[in-house]
Amino acid sequence: MNELDEKKLNKLSIDELSRLFMDNINEQNLQLISGIESLIEEDFKVFKEKLNYVIKTTTEVQIKKAFENKIFKSKLMFSKADRLKLFSKINDVKNIGEFMANRLLLYKVVFPDEEFKGYLLSILKSLRTISLKLSKAVKLIGSDLRESYQICEDIKEERRKMRREEWKLLNRLYNYDMDYLSRTFLYLKEMIEDIMMLADHIKSFSEYIQFLATKYLIFD
Amino acid sequence: MTEITSLLVTILVIMAISLAFSIGANDETLSVLVGAGLIKFKIALIIGGIAIGSGMVFFSGGYVAKTVGADILGKGIQYTTFMLLTVLISSILWLVVGSFAGIPLSSTHSLIGSVVGVVIIYAIFQGSINLGVAFNWEKLMNVIISWIISPLAGLIITYLIFKILVKVYLYRLKGLNQIEKSEKYFKWILLVVVIFAEIWVGANSGEALGILYGLLDNNSLNTQQYFIFASVCGIFAFLGIYIAARYVIKNLASQMIDSRPSEGIILQFSSSIILMIATLFGLPISHSHVVVFCILGLSLAQKKEIDYKALGKMALYWILTFPVAAILSGLIYYGLVSIGFI
Repeated sequence: MNELDEKKLNKLSIDELSRLFMDNINEQNLQLISGIESLIEEDFKVFKEKLNYVIKTTTEVQIKKAFENKIFKSKLMFSKADRLKLFSKINDVKNIGEFMANRLLLYKVVFPDEEFKGYLLSILKSLRTISLKLSKAVKLIGSDLRESYQICEDIKEERRKMRREEWKLLNRLYNYDMDYLSRTFLYLKEMIEDIMMLADHIKSFSEYIQFLATKYLIFD
Repeated sequence: MTEITSLLVTILVIMAISLAFSIGANDETLSVLVGAGLIKFKIALIIGGIAIGSGMVFFSGGYVAKTVGADILGKGIQYTTFMLLTVLISSILWLVVGSFAGIPLSSTHSLIGSVVGVVIIYAIFQGSINLGVAFNWEKLMNVIISWIISPLAGLIITYLIFKILVKVYLYRLKGLNQIEKSEKYFKWILLVVVIFAEIWVGANSGEALGILYGLLDNNSLNTQQYFIFASVCGIFAFLGIYIAARYVIKNLASQMIDSRPSEGIILQFSSSIILMIATLFGLPISHSHVVVFCILGLSLAQKKEIDYKALGKMALYWILTFPVAAILSGLIYYGLVSIGFI
């Protein structure tokens, strides 16, 4: 990804920087998901490209720097600490994604069967949905906390659905006739756990957004 | 005897000035303004100090000072310097005991309680005055009733102001940007409201000026001396804020950085309105009691949980302050009379 213009970045408001940061991280998340889908289709070239995109993209570092500079100098505000925490939570999504990408690139896995692939695709579909919804919820914090709160409810519901699928998938994995220490088993198990970790973080993030909505909105 | 009286008057004036300093030193009104980060800390202290000092000086010609220093007493009775000294010693002693015991007490209630105790003993053992005329009962009852009404009025006013503000404005704010933008404007209103509040905190501080007014009323001070010392009290209230209150204010302000200026406005405005009305009626009331009930009103309006047990305990101490201070001052004064000191 191209470097961002520093001058332009510095002109953006705290809210605009947060939204840009979220867009950036969401884009990397989508690339990660899409990369895993390529792995399922055994298109290793695309898989590698997409995961390397996640690892090598550093534009978010520039945005983060501009944001921190801005919020430190900002004469705002009673919401300063919450804005900072929000930003760091977005950053955590990137860290988890990058960790996943690095781990997934360690080994060239071949999936056990089509049914396993089907389950995994279904989970990835949910992960994509909650990732997109989270991005929307974060971007709405500035303009509509009620709508943002509602989206987070949807995320939590989708996460619940996703968790059931994950347990089915893990159950299936443990019932394959594979050696306990086989690399494939370990790889798949860790992949599922990493997806769970990312989804859990998105859920906890959405709960934080709901906390913010409850904190700042005044109900009649 | 004249020398002793002069010495006592000097001591009383010094104590009154020290009390003015402690009023400034204990004032926390500015913390909400400092927490909002609108103006620099030192500037906030200077503005707050000037406001409290001005309130004290401009309203020293009557109002609360007159009530405490003269009007509360019945016709035909005046404070002696020993009575004033006992009042001060007793109320300070009770406040110190309260502080060591961790009991939040009102200096106003303590002072009036001490006045009542001393006057009763004086009327019975020294002046042979019927208790029916020892006090201006109407004024005294008004003061005591105002102690009940003022916190309750603070609660109701805060509740209503919050509800109205929510209905007409706050409810419409949807996003964090909108909320931040509006709170930015609220900060400037907060500055005005805090200055207004500080003026009335100073104006309702009967402890220091009440003593001086008592000295004026018994001719220990002339009018010119009274206003000079009242002005010195104003300056010392300013210094109290600038020198001593800064630590409390800084500490409280750091806990308030994420509190909303609009809530600060509601609290300060409600409490200052109550203080203003009480001052104009010459009623010395407890600022801290009013503020606690204003916070309670806001919490009720926001449907927040309230610790009724702690509140009940606090209310008990508030109720006890007046009789305990009266008994303590009565005992001290009686002791001084018994040993022939007075």
